Amino acid sequence: MMRVIVTMVLAACIALPVHAELMIRITEGADNAIPVAVVPFGKADGFQPSENISQIVHEDLAMSGEFKPLATERMLSLPTNGDDVFYRDWRLLGQKYLLVGQVQPAGGDKVSARYELFDVNREKRIMGETASVASNNLRTLAHHISDKVYEAITGNKGVFSTRIAYVTLDMENGKRIYRLNVSDVDGKRASVRLKSSEPILSPAWSPDGKKLAYVSFETGRPAIYIQELANGKRTRIAQFPGLNSAPAWSPDGDSLLMTLSRDGNAEVYKMDVASRKLTRMTDHWAIDTEPDWSPDGDSFLFTSDRSGGPQIYMMDADGGDLRRLTFGSRYNARPRFSPDGEHIFYVHQRDSYFHIARMNIESGEETILTRTKLDESPSVAPNGRLLIYATQEGGKSVLAVISADGGSNYILPSRFGDVREPAWSPFLN
Amino acid sequence: MTDNKREPNDYLSRPPWRSPVALSIALHVGIVVFSLVGWSWSKPSHEPPPRSIQARLIMPEPVAAQKPEVKPPSQPESQPKPDPQEEARKKAAEQAKAEEQKRQEEARKKALIREKEKQEAAAKAKEEARRKAEAEAAAAARKKAEEEKRRKELAEKKAAEEKRKAEEKAAEERRKAEEKRKQEEAERKRQEQLAKERREAEEKKREEERRKREQQLATMAEQAQQQQEAAAREKAEAAAAAKARQARMASESEKYEALIRQRLSDAWYIPSSARKGLKTTLEITLLPTGELVSVKITNSSGNTAFDNSALSAVRGVSRFPVPDDADVFNTYFRRFSIQFDPETLK
Amino acid sequence: MIRTYSKLFALLVAMGVMAGCSSTGGTQEEGAYGSDVSAVDQEGGSEVYGGEGSSGVSSQTMTDEERAAQAEQAAQQEQAAMRKITTFYFDFDTSEIKSESRDVLIAHAKYLAANPNRSVRLEGHADERGTKEYNLALGERRAKAVERFLVVNGASRDQIETISYGEEKPAVMGHDESAYAQNRRVELIYQ
Repeated sequence: MMRVIVTMVLAACIALPVHAELMIRITEGADNAIPVAVVPFGKADGFQPSENISQIVHEDLAMSGEFKPLATERMLSLPTNGDDVFYRDWRLLGQKYLLVGQVQPAGGDKVSARYELFDVNREKRIMGETASVASNNLRTLAHHISDKVYEAITGNKGVFSTRIAYVTLDMENGKRIYRLNVSDVDGKRASVRLKSSEPILSPAWSPDGKKLAYVSFETGRPAIYIQELANGKRTRIAQFPGLNSAPAWSPDGDSLLMTLSRDGNAEVYKMDVASRKLTRMTDHWAIDTEPDWSPDGDSFLFTSDRSGGPQIYMMDADGGDLRRLTFGSRYNARPRFSPDGEHIFYVHQRDSYFHIARMNIESGEETILTRTKLDESPSVAPNGRLLIYATQEGGKSVLAVISADGGSNYILPSRFGDVREPAWSPFLN
Repeated sequence: MTDNKREPNDYLSRPPWRSPVALSIALHVGIVVFSLVGWSWSKPSHEPPPRSIQARLIMPEPVAAQKPEVKPPSQPESQPKPDPQEEARKKAAEQAKAEEQKRQEEARKKALIREKEKQEAAAKAKEEARRKAEAEAAAAARKKAEEEKRRKELAEKKAAEEKRKAEEKAAEERRKAEEKRKQEEAERKRQEQLAKERREAEEKKREEERRKREQQLATMAEQAQQQQEAAAREKAEAAAAAKARQARMASESEKYEALIRQRLSDAWYIPSSARKGLKTTLEITLLPTGELVSVKITNSSGNTAFDNSALSAVRGVSRFPVPDDADVFNTYFRRFSIQFDPETLK
Repeated sequence: MIRTYSKLFALLVAMGVMAGCSSTGGTQEEGAYGSDVSAVDQEGGSEVYGGEGSSGVSSQTMTDEERAAQAEQAAQQEQAAMRKITTFYFDFDTSEIKSESRDVLIAHAKYLAANPNRSVRLEGHADERGTKEYNLALGERRAKAVERFLVVNGASRDQIETISYGEEKPAVMGHDESAYAQNRRVELIYQ
């Protein structure tokens, strides 16, 4: 009895210091973009680069929605290498990260940039590199730096070196002119890949990023083409009677899903690119269209109005296990998988407006991501963090970029009239 | 905590006979056995000494002797009885004598009658003779009856005398026995008294001793209790004070925990690669001024960007809010852990 | 709902005007519909009125043959006038042919039946709402609905070609219900 009591007393004594072991749990972070200072890069004497690299990096990071770059005029000092960094200055300005660098000619036609990224709080250099490119390719260098900085801080791969395909429509001399364009994600360095007085639709990047499939009405009838970006070589792979639309690459790039009405009604078919062999995937009197292949290639999404209005369905690649995914409203269409295959992004009608929505496939949880009114053609960045889509602004169709979890919104500047049908490329080498 | 846990486990792992309960039971049994043995040893001192057994053994005698003491006073009042056998014998003898005489008279009468028939003349003479004989016989009978009576009275007198003497002797004897009894009684009483006094003295002594002992024990117990109570009071007071202090410290620490949590939340920029379930634990050492001495990762999330964001958040707090109370600071905030695990992420 | 009905009513009135069935624009009673109606009115009104003016005079000297020929001619003229209507409208997300389109489509079907060497191209369109590829399919379904109607009423499938432009070629620029109503259509084009 004594021992038991003694033991209990001892136990009680031991328990006390345990309480003193403090563990503070942090479950929420700052609900803001990360403050980062991109200091203008130094330049070798007399060297005038054609692009302001640090400015491009600044804009890239801002566009991601995850960073809040400091305006240059607020900077207390403009260091161009790590030795000149006074952390206190940047800490006072509330900056969490600091990018400094220098640009200089690297011999021949090359330009190199030496840059370093610092964690202001930890007073630590977390990354540094010297990279060089051809002098006419400075934007590529800038986007490369943006990607590196983004990845070092967020742990995600950056998408600033990826590209976007889109279609513009302009009125020229009273005629409609459609152009298929490819540009950087910031809308710069756009180049026209196809020009037509007839509609161009549904550009789709091949998984290797080297080809585009699209629909063109250039013959007066819709047809699906594959165009190699490097040399502009085109192949018309589908011009069946009726619809030829909505090409979607398989993850391995060997086949395309597409919508044809050659059998009388809009159905989803699979075409083997090499052999052009067709396999019919859907069979219903309703409209079945807008297919998208899952990242693992095991299933695909499509829009069907078999329930009365357009809704999103998922089906195994072998044609089995048909499932309707959307029920939230009477109009849900044009689905796209997230890169991890866990979510779908799609056009969702609420009241009389069309928004972009995201749904968790597993849980069915639906989130409306956009506040704009006539949103179309969602396309997800390969890192799954951003989403580009077409919307209306000032009576014109424009492209907007939004963070895939519904955060920031960014309208891409466009020099021309209507811009539509954006398609985000995969990661490019 | 771990010590605390290990202790009961030890008990469980021990053989039952080594368990404290078993030990305690064994101890109790031992105590009981010991006390019983002690009892048997002290028993003789409690029992009456063998001498008093003898004294007690005397007791039944006077009780038996007392009986006659109560009865004798009624005995002298009773009439002295004549000897009944003597009387009956005498009576029977008289009766038989009388009857014999009677029978002889009868027979003489008859002979006389027959002689009278034969001797008619002589009868007259004889008659005279007979009358004379008769008178002589009657006188003799009278004389004999008177003699008998006198003898009888004498015997009676003698018997009464004897009886009186016997009675006197018995009374004497009784008186003597009474005296002896009284003496013995007195002796017994004296002895008893002595024994009683002795016993009482002993008992008194024992009682005294016991009382003394008890008093001593009581005093000791009281002292012990007082000491215990004092100790317990002190302990309770100390515990209450400690508890109050602890409560105060705990509430103080909670306040600063909340402040620190807020600062860190504000300073923490969760990287976009973070997913629900990621956890980084850091150990922080602070100066009493709230300045950071060191921070190190004690448990990595496996995601470098995530770990770095946590480190950066800690480094981003220029001065941690800490209590002024040195005890509270030392107990809770000199060194503590922070776990970063985003709940709000998908 | 009310808006939809008002549009329907406006379209109905407009159809009537274009088909020459209604005497004057004075039958318009409700000013509230004015803008919608006028927009449609302007598009086809003048031609319709111009076509009707020629058959005003008649005389008693006409023979029965003449009278019959004249009636025939009038009927033909009426048919021809009807055939000048080449745009057929639809409600949102449907391909159902509206009742007011039927007489006109029958006129076209009869003409095609009578003129096997003629052929038509049916262009299906959708308004800009919803998704482009679904709208392409919707435009096609509208065109096919019209094609089926023509075939049922005498035209040959060989004379008809269908194509859908979805929302790519709106008839009217604009982002309101009025524009949408005019853009949800099938255009019949003689080749």
